[in-house]
Amino acid sequence: MTEEKIEYNQLETGYEFPPSSYELDASVVTTYLRAVEDTSYPYEDNKAVPPMAIAASAMAALSRSISLPPGTIHISQELEFRSEARIGDGLTGYARVNRKWSRGRFHFLDVELNVCNDNQETVLTSKTSFILPQPDDEG
Amino acid sequence: MEINLEKSSGLSEGMSLPGLRKSITQKQINLYAEASQDFNPIHIDENFVKKTPLGGTIAHGMLILAYVSQMMTVAFGRDWLVGGKLNVRFKEPARPGDTITVSGHISKLEKRGQETIINCDVQCCNQKNDLIITGEAKLGVKNNENSD
Repeated sequence: MTEEKIEYNQLETGYEFPPSSYELDASVVTTYLRAVEDTSYPYEDNKAVPPMAIAASAMAALSRSISLPPGTIHISQELEFRSEARIGDGLTGYARVNRKWSRGRFHFLDVELNVCNDNQETVLTSKTSFILPQPDDEG
Repeated sequence: MEINLEKSSGLSEGMSLPGLRKSITQKQINLYAEASQDFNPIHIDENFVKKTPLGGTIAHGMLILAYVSQMMTVAFGRDWLVGGKLNVRFKEPARPGDTITVSGHISKLEKRGQETIINCDVQCCNQKNDLIITGEAKLGVKNNENSD
């Protein structure tokens, strides 16, 4: 299914993205673990998913509904790991624009994201700040 | 002194966390792009990024932040995985070829009822000692019955 993306210039403070539901897929977790070279924890034994892999998959789900300009840079991150998730769990991300603002030439976007499981328990909360390129800076 | 335990006894302010050292490659960055579906060209497209002030591809901030979480998992296990909090700023980009040193220490211990809140300062630096990530990590651990 193709989801419609909202462009950065259409976003306003308080905008709530449509909830994005997805399943924690073993292949995504495997790719994540290869990327970060994390062999320190027996994720495979109990199928518990590393919380930063949940964060990565939540970002992936969010990226289906937002189009940020090339060159956007991540400048700060808050995360809270609230409960465990396992491979195969269904999760839903609820995201909103906390703040969209400018200072001089620079444009900033703060996005809050809560990830819940199918029992509506919060698995992870996140606050992300981005700095966005000027239109002239875009490639 | 470093820690590697899951209970509060034996912890003290100033204690070092078990650090990590990681080498960054474009292959890892590409894998992280796939896992997170973040294909921003600043991470994966050398031709695009050459035309920007960045000059070359950079790692996803969340990839480097995953190393911090890995360090916290080694130190505190499940107490970190359920209940951990991170608040960080990305100061400089990490690039392919960089070696990242992840480190931290306990900045403050707060006893609250049956648990101890552990506040840590965490950071990631590259081989030139440039600060890549700085911030705080926090978690609660149950007090040992035999602890003071």
